Amino acid sequence: MDKLSLVGLTKQYAQGIAPAVDRLDMSVEEGHLVSLLGPSGCGKTTTLRMVAGLMDPTAGQIKVDGTDITNTPVHKRGMGMVFQSYALFPHMNVHENVAFGLQMRKKSKSQQDSLVKGALDMVQLGHLSKRPVKALSGGQQQRIALARALVVEPTLLLLDEPLSNLDAKLRETMRTEIRQIQQRTRATTLFVTHDQDEALAMSDRIAVMNGGLIEQFGSPTEVYERPRTRFVANFIGRANLLTVTIRGEETTPNGDSRYAVDVPGFGVHHAIGEAGLSGVRTLLVRPHRLSVSPAAPGSDGIIGTVEALSYTGDSVSYSVRVGEHLFTSERLTSGPDRMSQGDRAVISWRANDALVLPESTEE
Amino acid sequence: MSATQTLASVEGTGPHRASGEQERRTKKRNRRIALALVIPGILGIGVTFLFPLVYMIRMAFNEGSGNGIVVETFTFATILDPLTDSYYWKVTFDTFLMGLVVGLLCIVVSYPIALFLSRTQSKWMGLLLAAALAPLLTSAVVRTYGWMVLLGDDGLVNSTLLGVGLIDSPIRMANSMSGVVIGLVEIFMPYAILAMMSGFGRISTQLEEAAGSLGANKAKVFFRVTFPLSLPGVLTAFLLVFVLSISTFVTPRLLGGGVVQVLATEIYDQATGLLNWPFAAALALILLVLFGAVISVYQALIKKIGG
Repeated sequence: MDKLSLVGLTKQYAQGIAPAVDRLDMSVEEGHLVSLLGPSGCGKTTTLRMVAGLMDPTAGQIKVDGTDITNTPVHKRGMGMVFQSYALFPHMNVHENVAFGLQMRKKSKSQQDSLVKGALDMVQLGHLSKRPVKALSGGQQQRIALARALVVEPTLLLLDEPLSNLDAKLRETMRTEIRQIQQRTRATTLFVTHDQDEALAMSDRIAVMNGGLIEQFGSPTEVYERPRTRFVANFIGRANLLTVTIRGEETTPNGDSRYAVDVPGFGVHHAIGEAGLSGVRTLLVRPHRLSVSPAAPGSDGIIGTVEALSYTGDSVSYSVRVGEHLFTSERLTSGPDRMSQGDRAVISWRANDALVLPESTEE
Repeated sequence: MSATQTLASVEGTGPHRASGEQERRTKKRNRRIALALVIPGILGIGVTFLFPLVYMIRMAFNEGSGNGIVVETFTFATILDPLTDSYYWKVTFDTFLMGLVVGLLCIVVSYPIALFLSRTQSKWMGLLLAAALAPLLTSAVVRTYGWMVLLGDDGLVNSTLLGVGLIDSPIRMANSMSGVVIGLVEIFMPYAILAMMSGFGRISTQLEEAAGSLGANKAKVFFRVTFPLSLPGVLTAFLLVFVLSISTFVTPRLLGGGVVQVLATEIYDQATGLLNWPFAAALALILLVLFGAVISVYQALIKKIGG
C-alpha cells in the first residue's frame, strides 16, 4: 500500500486568485524519497505544509497508510520535519533538542538517552550533545535537525529545502549523507527543493511542480530523459526546444515510435517519442546530445555561426545562432574540432538523441 | 625603458601612500566629528542628571533641622535615621512589594496583547497598536482621577455591584493599596506592551511549528518554546514597569488617599511638606539602592537566559 497519498489536494489562499496547489493527486511508496521540485511559487512548500498539518487544505484529502489524516492536528500526525532554517530550539542544547519529540511521547529518561545517543551517532555528532545549538555550524545544525526529526521514528520525514542555507561544497556532502541515512532508516520522505541536481541525485521519484500542478511524476531518469512537457524539459537540465510538425511515424520494437518531423526552416529530421503522437509538438535535444562541428565549404544541413562559447574546464558550451534560433551544444574539451567565436558550424543530431514531447503545443 | 619603469613605480606607489595617509586623516576627522556629536548629550546628561544626582547624594550627608534649614556638614546620621526606624523599613518593603505586584500583573495582562500585536498580519495592525498605546496620550494624573471615579465608594464599580446586589456595602478600592495597584497596572500597560513586543518579534514561528510537528500540543508549545523564548522581553518589561511604579508619586498619592505610604510619597512629604531636604535625599538614596538591586538581578537573569 502507498505510505502517503494525496487526493485532489487544493489550497486557495483567497477567493479570486489562482490556487497555490490545484487538485493535486500523488502517491508515495513506503521507503521512497520523493522530491517536490519546482520554481518558487509552484506550490511545493504549500503541499509539504499541508501534509505536515501546518496548513489546512481548502479541499482534498491526505492519507497516510490509507487513513485519512486531513483533519488530524499537527502534533498528532507523528511526522518529522526539517525546516529550511532548521528551527532548532535556541534555549536548549543539542541533547534537549533531539530529546524534545521523545519527551512529548512520554518516553522514559533512559529510553530518551539511548535513543538520542543513537540518533546523534547516526549523524556523527554524538560528541556535541551538551553543546548549545547556537555554537554549531550550519552543517552541524542541519544534522541535528535531521536527528531530531528521525529520532521519533516518524511516519513520514518532511524536508523543506534543508540544504539551501549551506555552501555549495557542504550541500553536496549533505546530499549524499541525507540520502544514505534515509535509505538506512527506510524513512518515507517528502523532500521540497528548487534545485534540480539535488532532486535528480537524491530521489526515488520526482514530482515536478508548476503553477500548483504536478507537471510530471516519475523517476529521475524518466523526468530527465523522457520529460512530458516543455516546462519539465526546460526546468530539469538544459534544453534545445523546437516547435515541429509531425510528418510520419514508424513503430520500433521497444514500443517507442520513430518520427519524421518538419522543423520549420530546417527541413525534415528524425526523432523518437512515445507512440501515437501527431500534429504540432515540441522537439527536445539536450545540449550534450546535439552535435556541432566546423562547417566545411559547401556542406549542407543546419548551418549557423558560433555566437558565444563558455569554457568550464571539462567541457565547452557553444551557442550557435541559426536565424532566430540559438542552439546550445555542450562538448567535452578533449573532443576534436575546437571552434572559436564567429566560426561557421553545422548542427545535427541522431534520431535517438532527439525526443518529441507528448505535450501538445497547439494553442 | 628604465625611465618608463621609474615613472610607473612613482605612479604606482604615489597614490597608494597618499591614500594611506588620507585614510588616517579621515579616521581622525571621523573621531573628532563623533566627539563633537556626543558633546551635547554628555552636557545634557551632566547638567540634568549627574550633577543633581551627586548633589542629592551630598545632601543626604547634611543635617536637616525640620524647618527648612539645611545644616551643611558631613554626617551619617541622616542616612542612618530611616534605616533604624521600622516605619521606613515597612515603607521600603511596601514600595518594593507594590513594584513587584504591579510589574507581575502588568506582564500578565499585557502579555497576550503584546503577543497578538507582534504576530497579527491584520491590516488593522497599525490601528490596533495605536489603540494599545493611546492611553499614553492622556497624562497619568488624568487617568488616576479616572480610576478614582471608577473605584471610589460611590464609584461606577461599587454602585454597579451594589445595584446588582452582589455586595451589601462598598468594597474599599480607592484610598487603598489595591486601588493604587489597579491604577498603576493600567497606566503602565502601554510600556509593558511596547517592551514585550520588541522582544517577541525575534521569536520565529517556525520554532513553534517544529515543536508542534514533534508532538507538542498548543499548551506545550507555549510553555516549552514560546514562553521561554519570550522571557528576555518579559524581564525587560517587568524591569521597566517596576522602576516606573516604585518611583511614581501621583498615583499612590491620589488613589492612595493619604493611606498608602511609599518611598515616593514620603520623599515628597519630606521635601515639600517638612522641608527636610537631607532626609528626603536619604530616602531617595534608599530608592536608588532598590533600583540598583533589581537591575543587578535583571542583568544576572538576562545573562543566564542569553548564555
